[in-house]
Amino acid sequence: MKFKKIVLPLILLSVGIAIVAYNVYNKPHIDVVDAKADVVVTANNLFTEFSTDEAKANAEYLDKIIQVKGFIQKLSIENGIGIVTLKTEDDFGSVQCNLSTEAKNDFNLLKENELVTIKGICTGYLMDVVLVKSEIVN
Amino acid sequence: MKSIITLFCICFCLTTANSQDRYFTKSGSINFFSKAPLEDITADNNQVLSIIDASTAKMAISILMKSFLFDKALMQEHFNENYVESDKYPKATFKGEILDFKALSENPKDFKVKGVLNIHGVSKDIVVIASMKKINNSITANGNFIINLEDFDVEIPAVVAKNIAKNIKVTFNFKHTPFKK
Repeated sequence: MKFKKIVLPLILLSVGIAIVAYNVYNKPHIDVVDAKADVVVTANNLFTEFSTDEAKANAEYLDKIIQVKGFIQKLSIENGIGIVTLKTEDDFGSVQCNLSTEAKNDFNLLKENELVTIKGICTGYLMDVVLVKSEIVN
Repeated sequence: MKSIITLFCICFCLTTANSQDRYFTKSGSINFFSKAPLEDITADNNQVLSIIDASTAKMAISILMKSFLFDKALMQEHFNENYVESDKYPKATFKGEILDFKALSENPKDFKVKGVLNIHGVSKDIVVIASMKKINNSITANGNFIINLEDFDVEIPAVVAKNIAKNIKVTFNFKHTPFKK
Protein backbone atom coordinates (compact mmCIF):
# COMPACT_ATOMS: atom_id res chain seq x y z
CA MET A 1 0.00 0.00 0.00
CA LYS A 2 2.75 2.36 1.02
CA PHE A 3 4.55 1.57 -2.22
CA LYS A 4 1.62 2.64 -4.39
CA LYS A 5 0.91 5.82 -2.48
CA ILE A 6 4.37 7.21 -1.88
CA VAL A 7 7.18 5.43 -3.66
CA LEU A 8 5.55 5.06 -7.06
CA PRO A 9 4.65 8.76 -7.46
CA LEU A 10 8.15 9.67 -6.34
CA ILE A 11 9.70 7.42 -8.98
CA LEU A 12 7.44 8.82 -11.69
CA LEU A 13 8.21 12.37 -10.59
CA SER A 14 11.97 11.86 -10.65
CA VAL A 15 11.79 10.19 -14.06
CA GLY A 16 9.76 13.19 -15.27
CA ILE A 17 12.29 15.64 -13.90
CA ALA A 18 15.14 13.67 -15.45
CA ILE A 19 13.47 13.76 -18.87
CA VAL A 20 12.83 17.52 -18.64
CA ALA A 21 16.40 18.17 -17.47
CA TYR A 22 17.81 16.04 -20.27
CA ASN A 23 15.79 17.93 -22.86
CA VAL A 24 16.81 21.33 -21.48
CA TYR A 25 20.46 20.24 -21.47
CA ASN A 26 20.22 19.07 -25.06
CA LYS A 27 18.10 21.96 -26.24
CA PRO A 28 18.69 22.31 -29.99
CA HIS A 29 20.23 25.37 -31.62
CA ILE A 30 17.96 27.74 -33.48
CA ASP A 31 17.26 26.26 -36.88
CA VAL A 32 18.12 29.10 -39.23
CA VAL A 33 16.84 27.21 -42.29
CA ASP A 34 13.26 26.97 -41.08
CA ALA A 35 13.11 30.05 -38.89
CA LYS A 36 11.51 33.15 -40.27
CA ALA A 37 13.87 36.12 -40.54
CA ASP A 38 13.36 38.80 -37.89
CA VAL A 39 14.66 41.53 -40.14
CA VAL A 40 15.00 41.84 -43.93
CA VAL A 41 17.62 44.36 -45.04
CA THR A 42 20.18 45.14 -47.77
CA ALA A 43 23.88 44.65 -47.04
CA ASN A 44 24.54 48.34 -47.49
CA ASN A 45 21.80 49.52 -45.12
CA LEU A 46 22.83 46.99 -42.48
CA PHE A 47 26.44 48.12 -42.63
CA THR A 48 25.52 51.82 -42.56
CA GLU A 49 23.42 51.35 -39.45
CA PHE A 50 26.30 49.65 -37.65
CA SER A 51 28.93 52.15 -38.77
CA THR A 52 26.86 55.20 -37.78
CA ASP A 53 25.61 54.03 -34.39
CA GLU A 54 26.99 50.70 -33.26
CA ALA A 55 25.27 50.63 -29.86
CA LYS A 56 21.86 51.27 -31.37
CA ALA A 57 22.40 48.69 -34.12
CA ASN A 58 23.61 46.16 -31.53
CA ALA A 59 20.39 46.59 -29.58
CA GLU A 60 18.38 46.18 -32.74
CA TYR A 61 20.14 43.31 -34.50
CA LEU A 62 22.23 41.16 -32.13
CA ASP A 63 21.12 37.52 -31.85
CA LYS A 64 18.39 38.14 -34.42
CA ILE A 65 17.99 36.21 -37.65
CA ILE A 66 18.79 38.70 -40.38
CA GLN A 67 17.98 38.22 -44.03
CA VAL A 68 20.45 40.30 -46.00
CA LYS A 69 20.66 40.93 -49.72
CA GLY A 70 23.77 42.09 -51.53
CA PHE A 71 26.37 41.53 -54.21
CA ILE A 72 29.12 39.01 -53.49
CA GLN A 73 32.48 40.69 -53.07
CA LYS A 74 34.48 37.64 -52.11
CA LEU A 75 34.08 33.91 -51.56
CA SER A 76 36.50 31.99 -49.40
CA ILE A 77 36.83 28.89 -47.29
CA GLU A 78 38.64 29.04 -43.93
CA ASN A 79 38.88 26.05 -41.61
CA GLY A 80 36.32 24.25 -43.74
CA ILE A 81 33.73 26.98 -43.35
CA GLY A 82 32.43 28.90 -46.36
CA ILE A 83 32.57 32.67 -46.00
CA VAL A 84 30.54 34.99 -48.22
CA THR A 85 31.52 38.67 -48.11
CA LEU A 86 28.85 41.07 -49.31
CA LYS A 87 29.69 44.42 -50.86
CA THR A 88 28.71 47.75 -49.35
CA GLU A 89 29.32 51.29 -50.57
CA ASP A 90 31.98 51.68 -47.89
CA ASP A 91 35.59 51.06 -48.97
CA PHE A 92 36.58 48.90 -46.03
CA GLY A 93 33.41 47.55 -44.54
CA SER A 94 31.30 44.67 -45.71
CA VAL A 95 28.89 42.10 -44.38
CA GLN A 96 30.72 38.88 -43.58
CA CYS A 97 28.55 35.77 -43.53
CA ASN A 98 30.02 32.55 -42.15
CA LEU A 99 27.94 29.73 -43.56
CA SER A 100 26.73 26.73 -41.63
CA THR A 101 28.41 23.41 -42.42
CA GLU A 102 25.21 22.23 -44.14
CA ALA A 103 25.30 25.14 -46.61
CA LYS A 104 28.42 23.73 -48.27
CA ASN A 105 26.66 22.53 -51.43
CA ASP A 106 24.93 25.85 -51.99
CA PHE A 107 28.25 27.60 -51.50
CA ASN A 108 29.78 25.87 -54.52
CA LEU A 109 27.06 27.31 -56.76
CA LEU A 110 27.85 30.92 -55.86
CA LYS A 111 29.86 33.28 -58.06
CA GLU A 112 31.47 36.61 -57.30
CA ASN A 113 29.52 39.76 -58.21
CA GLU A 114 26.26 37.84 -58.14
CA LEU A 115 23.27 39.11 -56.19
CA VAL A 116 22.52 36.80 -53.28
CA THR A 117 20.18 36.65 -50.29
CA ILE A 118 21.56 35.16 -47.11
CA LYS A 119 19.94 34.46 -43.76
CA GLY A 120 22.03 34.27 -40.60
CA ILE A 121 22.38 35.22 -36.94
CA CYS A 122 23.98 38.60 -36.38
CA THR A 123 26.76 38.60 -33.77
CA GLY A 124 28.06 42.15 -34.08
CA TYR A 125 30.38 44.58 -35.81
CA LEU A 126 34.18 44.61 -36.05
CA MET A 127 35.35 46.01 -39.38
CA ASP A 128 32.41 44.24 -40.93
CA VAL A 129 28.99 43.28 -39.78
CA VAL A 130 29.30 39.60 -38.88
CA LEU A 131 26.71 36.84 -39.33
CA VAL A 132 27.11 33.22 -38.18
CA LYS A 133 25.31 29.98 -39.12
CA SER A 134 24.25 31.56 -42.37
CA GLU A 135 22.13 29.84 -45.00
CA ILE A 136 21.76 30.83 -48.62
CA VAL A 137 18.17 31.75 -49.41
CA ASN A 138 18.69 32.30 -53.13
CA MET B 1 32.37 52.72 -24.31
CA LYS B 2 35.56 50.68 -24.30
CA SER B 3 34.63 48.99 -27.53
CA ILE B 4 34.18 52.35 -29.19
CA ILE B 5 37.62 53.44 -28.01
CA THR B 6 39.11 50.20 -29.28
CA LEU B 7 37.44 50.66 -32.61
CA PHE B 8 38.82 54.16 -32.86
CA CYS B 9 42.28 52.82 -32.05
CA ILE B 10 41.95 50.21 -34.78
CA CYS B 11 40.70 52.78 -37.26
CA PHE B 12 43.54 55.06 -36.21
CA CYS B 13 46.09 52.30 -36.79
CA LEU B 14 44.53 51.63 -40.17
CA THR B 15 44.63 55.20 -41.35
CA THR B 16 48.07 56.13 -40.08
CA ALA B 17 50.12 53.09 -40.96
CA ASN B 18 51.68 52.65 -44.33
CA SER B 19 49.47 50.40 -46.42
CA GLN B 20 52.31 48.08 -47.37
CA ASP B 21 53.18 47.31 -43.78
CA ARG B 22 49.79 46.27 -42.56
CA TYR B 23 48.69 42.67 -42.46
CA PHE B 24 45.29 41.57 -41.34
CA THR B 25 42.70 38.83 -41.23
CA LYS B 26 38.97 38.96 -40.69
CA SER B 27 38.62 35.23 -40.30
CA GLY B 28 41.16 34.23 -37.72
CA SER B 29 40.14 31.38 -35.48
CA ILE B 30 40.11 31.11 -31.72
CA ASN B 31 39.05 28.05 -29.79
CA PHE B 32 38.66 27.66 -26.08
CA PHE B 33 38.64 24.49 -24.11
CA SER B 34 37.49 23.89 -20.57
CA LYS B 35 38.34 20.56 -18.99
CA ALA B 36 36.33 19.80 -15.87
CA PRO B 37 35.50 16.57 -14.01
CA LEU B 38 31.94 16.38 -15.36
CA GLU B 39 32.30 17.60 -18.91
CA ASP B 40 34.63 19.10 -21.47
CA ILE B 41 33.40 22.26 -23.12
CA THR B 42 34.80 23.67 -26.31
CA ALA B 43 33.78 26.59 -28.50
CA ASP B 44 35.04 28.00 -31.79
CA ASN B 45 35.12 31.49 -33.21
CA ASN B 46 36.18 31.81 -36.84
CA GLN B 47 35.58 35.52 -37.25
CA VAL B 48 38.43 37.06 -35.35
CA LEU B 49 39.80 40.36 -36.62
CA SER B 50 43.54 40.63 -36.19
CA ILE B 51 45.88 43.33 -37.48
CA ILE B 52 49.68 43.43 -37.47
CA ASP B 53 51.55 46.59 -38.32
CA ALA B 54 54.90 45.32 -39.54
CA SER B 55 56.59 48.72 -39.29
CA THR B 56 55.87 49.14 -35.57
CA ALA B 57 55.40 45.44 -34.62
CA LYS B 58 52.08 46.34 -33.04
CA MET B 59 49.26 43.83 -32.99
CA ALA B 60 45.56 44.43 -32.41
CA ILE B 61 42.89 41.75 -32.12
CA SER B 62 39.16 42.14 -31.76
CA ILE B 63 36.68 39.36 -31.05
CA LEU B 64 32.90 39.21 -30.94
CA MET B 65 31.88 37.10 -27.96
CA LYS B 66 28.63 36.08 -29.62
CA SER B 67 30.58 34.50 -32.49
CA PHE B 68 31.72 31.67 -30.22
CA LEU B 69 29.75 28.61 -31.28
CA PHE B 70 29.19 25.73 -28.88
CA ASP B 71 28.03 22.14 -29.35
CA LYS B 72 25.05 22.66 -27.13
CA ALA B 73 22.69 25.62 -27.39
CA LEU B 74 22.32 25.73 -23.61
CA MET B 75 26.07 26.14 -23.08
CA GLN B 76 26.15 28.97 -25.60
CA GLU B 77 23.24 30.66 -23.86
CA HIS B 78 24.86 30.40 -20.42
CA PHE B 79 28.18 31.59 -21.80
CA ASN B 80 26.63 34.71 -23.32
CA GLU B 81 24.06 35.54 -20.68
CA ASN B 82 25.66 34.53 -17.40
CA TYR B 83 29.41 34.33 -17.77
CA VAL B 84 30.78 36.84 -20.26
CA GLU B 85 27.57 38.94 -20.37
CA SER B 86 28.00 39.57 -24.07
CA ASP B 87 25.14 42.07 -24.27
CA LYS B 88 27.06 44.33 -21.89
CA TYR B 89 30.52 43.40 -23.14
CA PRO B 90 30.11 42.31 -26.77
CA LYS B 91 33.85 42.28 -27.56
CA ALA B 92 37.11 41.00 -26.25
CA THR B 93 40.20 42.82 -27.41
CA PHE B 94 43.95 42.46 -27.31
CA LYS B 95 46.39 45.22 -28.04
CA GLY B 96 50.10 44.74 -27.83
CA GLU B 97 53.49 44.50 -29.35
CA ILE B 98 55.41 41.63 -30.87
CA LEU B 99 58.87 41.57 -29.29
CA ASP B 100 61.91 41.04 -31.49
CA PHE B 101 59.65 41.15 -34.56
CA LYS B 102 62.61 41.70 -36.91
CA ALA B 103 63.51 38.03 -36.52
CA LEU B 104 60.39 37.04 -38.49
CA SER B 105 61.27 34.71 -41.36
CA GLU B 106 60.03 31.76 -43.36
CA ASN B 107 60.93 29.42 -40.55
CA PRO B 108 58.44 29.29 -37.70
CA LYS B 109 59.84 30.86 -34.58
CA ASP B 110 58.38 31.59 -31.15
CA PHE B 111 57.76 35.25 -30.44
CA LYS B 112 56.69 36.92 -27.25
CA VAL B 113 53.63 39.10 -27.70
CA LYS B 114 53.15 41.49 -24.82
CA GLY B 115 50.02 43.50 -24.32
CA VAL B 116 46.68 44.06 -22.68
CA LEU B 117 43.85 41.57 -22.94
CA ASN B 118 40.35 42.82 -22.26
CA ILE B 119 37.56 40.33 -21.62
CA HIS B 120 34.28 40.97 -19.79
CA GLY B 121 35.25 44.61 -19.30
CA VAL B 122 38.40 43.72 -17.35
CA SER B 123 41.88 44.53 -18.66
CA LYS B 124 44.91 42.47 -17.80
CA ASP B 125 48.54 42.54 -18.92
CA ILE B 126 49.62 39.30 -20.51
CA VAL B 127 52.53 37.85 -22.43
CA VAL B 128 51.66 35.18 -24.98
CA ILE B 129 54.05 32.99 -26.91
CA ALA B 130 53.08 32.79 -30.55
CA SER B 131 54.74 30.76 -33.25
CA MET B 132 55.00 33.05 -36.26
CA LYS B 133 56.30 32.85 -39.79
CA LYS B 134 56.12 34.84 -42.98
CA ILE B 135 55.61 32.97 -46.22
CA ASN B 136 54.55 34.40 -49.59
CA ASN B 137 53.64 37.73 -48.10
CA SER B 138 51.37 36.28 -45.45
CA ILE B 139 52.11 36.24 -41.73
CA THR B 140 50.74 33.34 -39.73
CA ALA B 141 50.57 33.26 -35.96
CA ASN B 142 49.42 30.40 -33.79
CA GLY B 143 49.74 29.12 -30.29
CA ASN B 144 47.86 28.77 -27.07
CA PHE B 145 47.70 30.17 -23.57
CA ILE B 146 45.74 29.77 -20.36
CA ILE B 147 43.42 32.33 -18.89
CA ASN B 148 42.02 32.31 -15.39
CA LEU B 149 38.32 33.15 -15.20
CA GLU B 150 38.68 34.90 -11.84
CA ASP B 151 41.13 37.36 -13.36
CA PHE B 152 38.35 38.60 -15.58
CA ASP B 153 35.61 38.62 -12.93
CA VAL B 154 33.77 35.74 -14.57
CA GLU B 155 31.83 34.07 -11.78
CA ILE B 156 30.95 30.40 -11.98
CA PRO B 157 28.08 29.42 -9.66
CA ALA B 158 28.87 26.60 -7.21
CA VAL B 159 26.21 24.38 -8.83
CA VAL B 160 28.18 24.08 -12.07
CA ALA B 161 31.65 24.34 -10.54
CA LYS B 162 32.31 20.72 -11.51
CA ASN B 163 31.25 21.40 -15.12
CA ILE B 164 33.46 24.37 -15.88
CA ALA B 165 37.20 24.67 -15.39
CA LYS B 166 38.67 27.71 -13.67
CA ASN B 167 41.49 27.83 -16.15
CA ILE B 168 40.56 27.91 -19.79
CA LYS B 169 42.90 26.96 -22.60
CA VAL B 170 42.70 29.36 -25.52
CA THR B 171 44.11 28.30 -28.89
CA PHE B 172 44.54 30.75 -31.73
CA ASN B 173 45.38 30.53 -35.40
CA PHE B 174 45.63 33.60 -37.61
CA LYS B 175 46.73 33.98 -41.19
CA HIS B 176 47.33 37.63 -41.99
CA THR B 177 47.44 38.88 -45.54
CA PRO B 178 48.49 42.34 -46.80
CA PHE B 179 45.86 44.98 -46.29
CA LYS B 180 44.54 46.51 -49.46
CA LYS B 181 41.57 48.57 -50.32
